[in-house]
Amino acid sequence: MSTTTTKTEVTLADLTRMLRESAGEEEGVDLDGDVLDTPFIDLGYDSLALLQVIGQIQREYGIAIPDDAVVDAETPHALLDLINSGQASPA
Amino acid sequence: MPLTEHTAVVRRLVVSTKGAPAGEAGRGEPVTATAAAVSAVLRAFGRSPEDLPARTAVFVGAARTAAGLGAEHEGFPVHTASSPGRALRRAHRELLAKNVDLALVAGFGEPRSEAVTVHAVRRAAEAVADGDRVLGVLDIPDLPGAPDASGATEALDTFDTFADEPVVRPLRHGGRSTDPGGVRLLLWSGRDEADEARVRGELRPMVDRLFPEAFPVLPTAVPCGQEPGPVRAAAVTTADRAARAVLGAKAVATGRPRPVALLFPGQGSQHTAMAAGLYGREPVFTAAMDAVLDLFGEDGEDVRADWLADGTTRTPGIDIDDVRRAQPLLFAVDYALGRTVLAWGVRPTAFLGHSAGELVAAVFTGVVSLPDAVGMMRERVRYAVEIPPGGMLAVAASEEELRPYLRGDVAIAAVNAGRQTMLAGSCAPLDEVAARLRADGHTVVAVPATSPFHCPAMAPASEAVERAYRGVRLRPPALPLYSGYTGGPLGPDDALRPDFWARQLTDTVYFRPALDELLAADDMLLVEAGPRQTLTAFARRHQAVRLKASAVVPMLPARPGGPEEDRRSVLTAAARLWEEGHSLDLDAVSRLWNWSADAPPAPEGPGPEASAADGRFEGRRPLTAV
Repeated sequence: MSTTTTKTEVTLADLTRMLRESAGEEEGVDLDGDVLDTPFIDLGYDSLALLQVIGQIQREYGIAIPDDAVVDAETPHALLDLINSGQASPA
Repeated sequence: MPLTEHTAVVRRLVVSTKGAPAGEAGRGEPVTATAAAVSAVLRAFGRSPEDLPARTAVFVGAARTAAGLGAEHEGFPVHTASSPGRALRRAHRELLAKNVDLALVAGFGEPRSEAVTVHAVRRAAEAVADGDRVLGVLDIPDLPGAPDASGATEALDTFDTFADEPVVRPLRHGGRSTDPGGVRLLLWSGRDEADEARVRGELRPMVDRLFPEAFPVLPTAVPCGQEPGPVRAAAVTTADRAARAVLGAKAVATGRPRPVALLFPGQGSQHTAMAAGLYGREPVFTAAMDAVLDLFGEDGEDVRADWLADGTTRTPGIDIDDVRRAQPLLFAVDYALGRTVLAWGVRPTAFLGHSAGELVAAVFTGVVSLPDAVGMMRERVRYAVEIPPGGMLAVAASEEELRPYLRGDVAIAAVNAGRQTMLAGSCAPLDEVAARLRADGHTVVAVPATSPFHCPAMAPASEAVERAYRGVRLRPPALPLYSGYTGGPLGPDDALRPDFWARQLTDTVYFRPALDELLAADDMLLVEAGPRQTLTAFARRHQAVRLKASAVVPMLPARPGGPEEDRRSVLTAAARLWEEGHSLDLDAVSRLWNWSADAPPAPEGPGPEASAADGRFEGRRPLTAV
């Protein structure tokens, strides 16, 4: 993983991987199929689980994501847009 | 007049006492009230006396009472009045004063001298919430200047001597009211896929370019007049989007419907105006809310006012996250949503509540009566507020990962999911633990709670409520109750222990293990009867749900969305039950778009309805003619 990139595009594949990881071994969610526009709550992500994923993205990609993201981004699509649109600034 | 000001006659039976001792003057004299007759009254409705509600009382109305009949019989209080009418009045007052939960009123010499008329009477809101058949409500006019019901009842008996005999009149609880712009449910089915497509093909032009006024009056399910077929579909929609919704709905081939389990969330799921969009718009939900809030007494009135405060003209007096609001209101909303599902004709086979939600499950499984459960909740709140403020945290980590962080009175409050654990404790040590967890990279969120439930800090409250709980009549669960405190099905031994219920204030909630047990027993359709979708999210992460062996359906939106969203969400849950293959009481389901508590009386017109338009039978029939 690159640590020098300050403007990294987070892809759906990246997000899906992190969503899977955050759910733990035993647990998980059904992330097959078209999940881009499925609300996080329907995927089994409550605000705590989502905050954990966002925290992980911030650490891995060295970017800051506003706390409101968990409220504003209802779907993976919305979260990716928020991360990649520049609203999230390099940390 | 609200339902909570009424008492409802739910059973009526005339017993002949031929052969029993009559009045001294022989035939023609009203039969004498004896101990043997009261024993018969206690068994009049086919239930053995031990199955009667905890606070059942017998009200004897008789011109003559045998000397052997005391103030108590077979463990039940017996109140004696000099006439059947007075006995009914007394029962009415004692019910509304919450001294009695079920009144068996025995009118000796009614309607004939050798007969006894027995009325089973209970508070009307509770009867409607339970789906009990209401034969009518007792029409007992307010007596000017009379003392309140809790006061001098003997003085009122004197008052009664010149009051009318009570009459029974039909229950009036809201009425028909449709909103052309509102959301409704459209259900349809077919014998097979081709048949479903044909039915859908007939339905679609019917809802296309329809007058909006006609939309709410379409049948709930088509085709009408026949058993629903196994291929089913549903749409939750408004008139302007109906054609598209019908076209886009996905048909489901149903098999054996998975049994339903109700989930009741606890503290943390509350939000302002939760489920308020159903209040006044769904009759069973409304009656159940009113019944619970009425049982909370004066506190209940404040809880309701804060619940319905719109934030502009009125603001809540106490914040929703305060234990005095969160817990009574969550209890009421969980209970009322559960009652709504039962009113649809769905019979859940298991119940699981999170934290305070377990008390709601205890009511549905018959462990405690509703009035007793409300009493238990009141005690819980009363002593919880005396505990120094603390808080609760939700952490995205397992119980094992968190154990090393525990300090002071901070404890594992709840195991919700494999990687979601709650901590609770007093403010200072909890802040310290939160800071250390965050420093180590854990995700930590404060749960909206001002009391540190499920940790040793609550011990004084737990001890205090245990004393109060000792007077509560507990029974073994009549239906499976999965307990977060045993992590499995609740056995009769635990159910009957007052300290089992009292210790819930300090003990860890093992929701995840209880859910494991529930989903191991059978593939279930879980229905979350409560606000937000907290338990739904936990269940969605469960392997049985991920693998689609079981499924979960929330009744309310994940985020507060306003009244229309509340209704849409509840209808969507009904649609899911339909698509699962469950049979639904279609009339009951349709109330959500064609009923209102504020609906004006039915218009005057010919037909049998007309005479009841003002809510009374024509004339005032005396009781005996009902």
